[in-house]
Amino acid sequence: MKKKLLALVLVLAVPALAGAAQYGKMTLDSKIESMHKAGVGAVIYPHDKHEALFKCNECHPKLFKEKRGTSNISMKMNMDGKFCGSANCHNSPAAFPLYMCTNCHTNVGKK
Amino acid sequence: MKASSFRKLKAALLCSLVVAFGYTVSGSVAESAQPAKPAPAKKEAPVKIDPNDPASLIYLDTAGKPAGVGGNAAAPASQAYKAGMGWHPQALAGTGLPKDRYGLVDWAKLVRENIIKPKASLDPEEEEMPPLKMDILIPAKGDYVNDVIYPHEMHTYWLKCEVCHPQIFVPAKGSNDMTMVGIVQGQWCGRCHNKIAFPLTDCNRCHSSPKKAAAK
Repeated sequence: MKKKLLALVLVLAVPALAGAAQYGKMTLDSKIESMHKAGVGAVIYPHDKHEALFKCNECHPKLFKEKRGTSNISMKMNMDGKFCGSANCHNSPAAFPLYMCTNCHTNVGKK
Repeated sequence: MKASSFRKLKAALLCSLVVAFGYTVSGSVAESAQPAKPAPAKKEAPVKIDPNDPASLIYLDTAGKPAGVGGNAAAPASQAYKAGMGWHPQALAGTGLPKDRYGLVDWAKLVRENIIKPKASLDPEEEEMPPLKMDILIPAKGDYVNDVIYPHEMHTYWLKCEVCHPQIFVPAKGSNDMTMVGIVQGQWCGRCHNKIAFPLTDCNRCHSSPKKAAAK
């Protein structure tokens, strides 16, 4: 009985520990020059928050490529319904809208 | 021998418990079902469309705050509201007015398709000013966002020059340092859009002129 319980705990806890908090907060700044022109700073993307809400395969690989720096995310693409602005994400009532600049971009308004 | 009889006893006890529990649950459901019958009629009402109630859905903007009163629920939305008048949602739906993808009345389409032709002014003496056909290209600051084409024509169809100039927009090209953050906070375009005019969620309705970098 005890062995079974231990096995159950292991089955549940090990993947959770291994998967979670691996990526934490990711800084997205590949277009930092353009961001500075627009008066905003880099995006701090809370991967951990999204991990808690979604399964990996809900976003990867169909919305975002897994390898860091390869998706080429831009505000234009978000506005066209790609990446963060996908139909069920930040372009829908399910999540805050794209115009909430300060929710994602740091240093908004600084020049 | 002892262990098996204990198991049987346990099973019998469990069975009776399940039966007793099932009886109490179904019994209580049957009892509550009778007085519940007249309730559904009342349950259909929670969508608040009472024009006399400032918290009514029809007076809320896209952020869920009272529309047109700067978020102050105590302030009346308009003169018509003060006089006790308000939208009639069913009547509005029955008119078949064109709606945008957010289910809001598309006032620009109404004008373009000649669906309504409102009088220029309540004052018959007043001269009608034709809409100003002048599009303004407002470059987006970042490289990866489409530029904005601002149509004076649609705005001057509805509004007089003095509504916007010079308080909200300095009437000289490039002299208004607009930012999306400021607009979201209710400056510039945000004085009307996201409130009484179409919401800011519709990015590409304004950011419509492709930029070279943005096309990549």
